[in-house]
Amino acid sequence: MSKSNSETKYWLISQDELDTWLDGLAHAQALTLVAPREISGVVVYSPVENGGHISKVFTRPVLSVKGVFFPPTERLFTIHKTGQEIRLDESFPERETVVFGVRPCDARGVKLLDSLFLDTNPVDSFYLRRRENTTLIGMACDELGPTCFCTSVGGAPDNPQDMDIMLYKVKGKYLVETLTEKGRFLIPGGEWIETNINPKTALSAGQFQVPKKGKWPEHFNDTYWMKFSERCLSCRACAYVCPTCRCFAIRDERLSRGEFERIRCWDACAGENYRRVAGGHKPRAEKGDRLRNRFYCKFYYYPMEYGLGASSACTGCGRCIDVCPAGVDITEVFSDMEGSV
Amino acid sequence: MSFEPKIIAFLCSWCSYTGADTAGIARIKSPANIRDIRVPCSGRVSPELIMRAFDQGADGVLVLGCHIGECHYDTGNHRAAKRIPVLHSLMQFSGLEPERMRLDWVSASEGERFARIATEFTETVRGLGPVAWRFSPEDRQIKAQSLQPIDNDFSMPVVDCAGKTDGIRAKAKELLASREVGCVIGYEVGPRGRTRPSFAYSPDEADKLVWNPDVSNNLVSYLPVKLKRTGKEPPKKVAVVVKPCDSKAVNVLLAENQFARDQVHVIGVTCDGVRDEKGSLQSRCQACTERTPFVYDSLIGEPVPAVTHGTQDKAAWLENLPPLEKIEFWLYQYDRCIRCYACRQACPMCNCPTCLYERDDSIWVGMGIGVNEKRTFHLGRAYHLSGRCIGCNECERACPMDIPISLLNQKLASEIHKSFNYRAGLTVVPSPIVTVLSGEYKEG
Amino acid sequence: MSDNPLLPHLGKLVEVRDMAAEIKFFRVELLNGGGKAFKSSQPGQFAFVSAFGLGEAPFGIANASERGPQIDFAIARLGTVTTGLHELGEGDIVGIRGPLGNWFPMKKFKGKNLVVLGGGIGGAPLRPVIQYVLDHRSDYGNLTILWAARRPDLLVFTEEYDEWRASPDTTLHLTVDSPDEKWNHNVGLITGLLERVSPQVDNTVTITCGPPIMIHFVTKMLQEKMGFAPKNNYVTLEARMHCGIGKCGRCNLGEKLICVDGPVFNMEEVGGLLETYL
Repeated sequence: MSKSNSETKYWLISQDELDTWLDGLAHAQALTLVAPREISGVVVYSPVENGGHISKVFTRPVLSVKGVFFPPTERLFTIHKTGQEIRLDESFPERETVVFGVRPCDARGVKLLDSLFLDTNPVDSFYLRRRENTTLIGMACDELGPTCFCTSVGGAPDNPQDMDIMLYKVKGKYLVETLTEKGRFLIPGGEWIETNINPKTALSAGQFQVPKKGKWPEHFNDTYWMKFSERCLSCRACAYVCPTCRCFAIRDERLSRGEFERIRCWDACAGENYRRVAGGHKPRAEKGDRLRNRFYCKFYYYPMEYGLGASSACTGCGRCIDVCPAGVDITEVFSDMEGSV
Repeated sequence: MSFEPKIIAFLCSWCSYTGADTAGIARIKSPANIRDIRVPCSGRVSPELIMRAFDQGADGVLVLGCHIGECHYDTGNHRAAKRIPVLHSLMQFSGLEPERMRLDWVSASEGERFARIATEFTETVRGLGPVAWRFSPEDRQIKAQSLQPIDNDFSMPVVDCAGKTDGIRAKAKELLASREVGCVIGYEVGPRGRTRPSFAYSPDEADKLVWNPDVSNNLVSYLPVKLKRTGKEPPKKVAVVVKPCDSKAVNVLLAENQFARDQVHVIGVTCDGVRDEKGSLQSRCQACTERTPFVYDSLIGEPVPAVTHGTQDKAAWLENLPPLEKIEFWLYQYDRCIRCYACRQACPMCNCPTCLYERDDSIWVGMGIGVNEKRTFHLGRAYHLSGRCIGCNECERACPMDIPISLLNQKLASEIHKSFNYRAGLTVVPSPIVTVLSGEYKEG
Repeated sequence: MSDNPLLPHLGKLVEVRDMAAEIKFFRVELLNGGGKAFKSSQPGQFAFVSAFGLGEAPFGIANASERGPQIDFAIARLGTVTTGLHELGEGDIVGIRGPLGNWFPMKKFKGKNLVVLGGGIGGAPLRPVIQYVLDHRSDYGNLTILWAARRPDLLVFTEEYDEWRASPDTTLHLTVDSPDEKWNHNVGLITGLLERVSPQVDNTVTITCGPPIMIHFVTKMLQEKMGFAPKNNYVTLEARMHCGIGKCGRCNLGEKLICVDGPVFNMEEVGGLLETYL
């Protein structure tokens, strides 16, 4: 993930040029183009076979882009049993992928997952290969959505820092910025007009004051968490749509006689049986314990364990607020905590 | 090489298995495709077993029990007679050809009958070809994108919210002040302006309770946990605000002994419908005919007689699709599912301590978030809700991926209504699936 | 060898025998050079054992690495994976991932007295500590072992008690909650036994392993009644683990991950954590 800022280049392209470029990528045999696509009324990051599949109107897809690097189900290896003999076979993802239409909050999420899967030993071999084989093309947001709060966690709707290529809408055209070697490699040679218009990223202060890391420990034992979680249904939707939640489970599943696969899948700390130990004891038996764990992991545990410094593991995308069926709102936690002594 | 179907046959020890033996002893030929599974009684054949057989690659499933009235256990085959046709309609709705499942009756002496049914069934399944039920990850790119249920746009009726809000607050204050209840579960408006569940523990807190066009949540889902006895002290009585649909959930849970009637004070509110995110009447309200709750201790609002809306049956267009297109429609939906279990958690009736489909030992379904596993979960859950689902549609509203999951529940509700003239939750009576043919609920 | 940290080494079961009620002893010989990683495993570390086809689970390594290239485990049959392991026999292949986690700082303990408290199957990860001390006897002071179980048939490693007793300056105390007719040692909880034995506090370090409730009451007694400083009370904690390498997030105890920051902690660290292990 080398970034050489010495040669950041800019191009100004039309809608047609953008469509042609994306259509070309979609049809390219050697790679898969993943882009926001509307499926039965829902926009998700999905492989597209031609440029026409790409959704033109979207705020942010329902699911984050983490599924490209950390898919819901991943086969770790297959197991072949014959009598007492065991043989293990591995296969790794090798396909080149380009993701278009990545919002800055999602790219931030990928960077935060990097600190877990890549920057902390041991390196995860599946995430590593997917990350190396994938180029991110970002699209700046026109404005903050009603539940967005990226500006409150150090992000911005047009922040390019975690992308390989970044697009901004400028006066009916698109300003294309390349930030890495990987990004430059994808730019079609010669046809596009270079420019020296710089994107003016006006980083505004966020509307929410996110409690600093040091403030969280003193509130751990407040009865607030039990009360706040009463409406929570322990449904896990928030964790699955979150760009940085990464808990997974590992299990062996039978494929056919003598053939098994060891897989890992998404899981979330919201479930009651998530932490049940042998013998039946359940730490975090109360809903309040579990909801509290999710918030603390995001703002305290994860940043401490994986060296994020002062920043939290939250990208401010607001998906958790959108999908919660019971109205649990993370920004309410901020206000309540900041307002308390 | 011609296609040889794999048929799983569940045969009961006392009749059909012996009938199969009789056929063998009399040298009457039966196809070798039949793989027997011996069970004590056809009533033992739970629909999960049949679904598992298809999940694992069976081309056809045959269930043979004793003739009605001849069951060794009296009424075991009654259960089979009721449950398996319900499952059959669900599987058919999901795209399985109906001819792939058959329930029939064979006695111990009817060797010829056994052989005839076995041969007939095998030939039928052979004619259908290999079952298209399991899909591998490469089949991900499913073609039919345009298959979507059609929504009608109904505008919201005018509702007297202020009056009902006052009524709820007054009632809640009265109950909390007199300590008749320890908590009132109602609705409040959160800081973002969204209506959501609220828990009031004192008369002061009752001031945040409201009634408005967005009171969608089914608050009965909080009751089983709130009323469960955990320590030496019995849990305090709880009051809950219910719409007519929610009140049906109270009846279903009472029929299943999830809590006792005197543990809950039901604050019923007459309802003219709830709004969806687009601002129009929710589809479940379009189909709803009830305006007054079915069970209540206090009633807020004047009792209103039932009405009818003209509404399109959402499932009708799906019923008429050929099997393969049905499968494709559903695979599209399941492909989008992320197996977050929000649908299950939002449902008041889903309260098993460990969900069958979340077991550590994967005996009913694997842990993977793949199309086959997700389908097993949804079909299994829909079946488990047959005769119990009250149509509140919270499962669909909770789904982050907008999957029209309640189509399955609606289908089963209409099947149950057709076969047993029963609708869930109108009174405190268990689902007809768990009763014997005469309708009485028999232990064991 | 693959770079996949979730791929196990293959190991052959060279010994499988009943040790106690529903508890079996397994001795594994690693194949294809997989043993290299375990040569320097330290007391307190754990490994994931795979029953291929069912899954894998973490178990404390029950022997000191100096005592042989093989790895010992004591496994109680409680769930899917352990039942699968119990059905295996000598010659069968299992998967081993490890050694994982941190370890007891045996070098720091040099010159000190040690009190080792093991409850039930919790004795298994303490056996390497005992073996290490016995093998480096002159480096350590008194060794007091308190071994407990609910019933006599649930005590682990009974066949080694004589070896432990025979070592100089080493005492072994046993206790069960419910005795049988043949039992002629202490009856009662380990806290009662601890009170009776009353080990000296000066220059002493305690190591406790057992069910969370036992750890709670033992460490409470050690600190409140006997005056031990929390930093001299070591414990090894358990949690449900899936990856064991600090990725899947399941085993966190507040801000620490039991698989990489533990499983060995001293009570000063544990007391400072936000979450409790109970």
